[in-house]
Amino acid sequence: MNRNILNLQQLIAQAARGDHAAFAEVYERTHEHLFGIALRMLGQRQAAEDVLQEAYVSVWKNAAGYRPQVDGQEIQPITWLIAIVRNKALDALRARTRRKEQAWPEAGGHEGEPAQNASVHDAAPSAVQLFEQALQALHIAGCMAALDGGFRQSLALAYYQGLSHTEVAAQMKAPLGTVKAWIRRGLDKLRDCLAAQGVAP
Amino acid sequence: MRYTDTHLLDKLAASYVLGTLAGGARRRFERLQRDRGDVRDIVARWEERLAGLAGPVPAQQPSAGLWRAIEARTRPAPSMAPQPASESWLRPAGFGLGGLVVGAIAASALFLALPGLFISSDQLAMRSGEKLPQSYVGVLTDAQGNGRLLVSSLRHGRTLTLKVLGPAPIAPLAEEQRLVLWALPAQGPAFAIGTVPATGTAVSLLPDTSEKLLLQVNRLVVTRETGPIPAAPGADVVLSGSCAKLW
Repeated sequence: MNRNILNLQQLIAQAARGDHAAFAEVYERTHEHLFGIALRMLGQRQAAEDVLQEAYVSVWKNAAGYRPQVDGQEIQPITWLIAIVRNKALDALRARTRRKEQAWPEAGGHEGEPAQNASVHDAAPSAVQLFEQALQALHIAGCMAALDGGFRQSLALAYYQGLSHTEVAAQMKAPLGTVKAWIRRGLDKLRDCLAAQGVAP
Repeated sequence: MRYTDTHLLDKLAASYVLGTLAGGARRRFERLQRDRGDVRDIVARWEERLAGLAGPVPAQQPSAGLWRAIEARTRPAPSMAPQPASESWLRPAGFGLGGLVVGAIAASALFLALPGLFISSDQLAMRSGEKLPQSYVGVLTDAQGNGRLLVSSLRHGRTLTLKVLGPAPIAPLAEEQRLVLWALPAQGPAFAIGTVPATGTAVSLLPDTSEKLLLQVNRLVVTRETGPIPAAPGADVVLSGSCAKLW
């Protein structure tokens, strides 16, 4: 079978049947995007590679667990892959926090980056810039503009850098309760704006 | 907590997917997902919503070693998959006491059935008395619990026989990389006892008798090392198992 003409969903289905070459093609098509996400969250290449390794092994073992549809709503294969990578990265971040190995720097252009790895993202856009770009691409920038900057920044820090409520509050120098409310209401608004665009209504 | 409230479930799912649901609450919510399809559906919808945010994150190139590591952990070993029933004893040969007992029994059986696997024809001829030789043996398994390497040495011998089970290589090796067998004594530092072939059988000379070297050793591991054999095993452990004494 010519795997070049298969889409990601078909490749994952093939991998679920034990086709390792199809799994290799899934890796080939997705690993740079997923590594970018993991690296953005963890700030360290080795930690991000460890997370990606665990994530792809999990993909291979659980390829049959991908559901293309939920309640008639299409779930993109890349969505499933991103969720696996982010969950592994979040586990690694929380374990790192527990070990207290990382000293988080003061707020700046690279919020929450471990200082010794700042070079990884010297030229990278900030979490807030990424968030604004994503809202534009999803055609919900206007809808989300109803929220002020604190809402968007808190969501951006949590999503792109995997920061906890406490870490977002420290980063933004805002009270914990306020940050929790920002994120809660920000998520509600995001859902409503996306639903208006037909995404997971 | 009431998990029948759909509004609460939606809120928890959103926090879970974003990552702000932490600690014990995160673990409890993961268990809830495993048990309930409706909760998995709510989570999947939030994953679809938030996945769009990842679009602008710049792609990055990981090292070439990443795929090799993933491949080593996922590529099915063709020879191991359709194992006949007579070899199914290899599967439970994991770690700890079970692995030790199974390894000892398995190696004893192989000693009796196919002594040529362990010793040369000359040695075999010298031992035509058919008595079980006193020796040290180990069965090492990979991360999936498949037996991949038999290690054996006569008690007073100075040679170590390594037999890779199945035709597939134990692990992919880049240039400059090698597989090193380490002995882990109950007390004291690990020491290297030989280089492991990727496939087939190899015999290596020991610096002393196996009795002196292996008496206190109860664990064996194989690591993938780059360059010369280091003083201590690296973190890239590809096989592991118990070392048993056959008296």
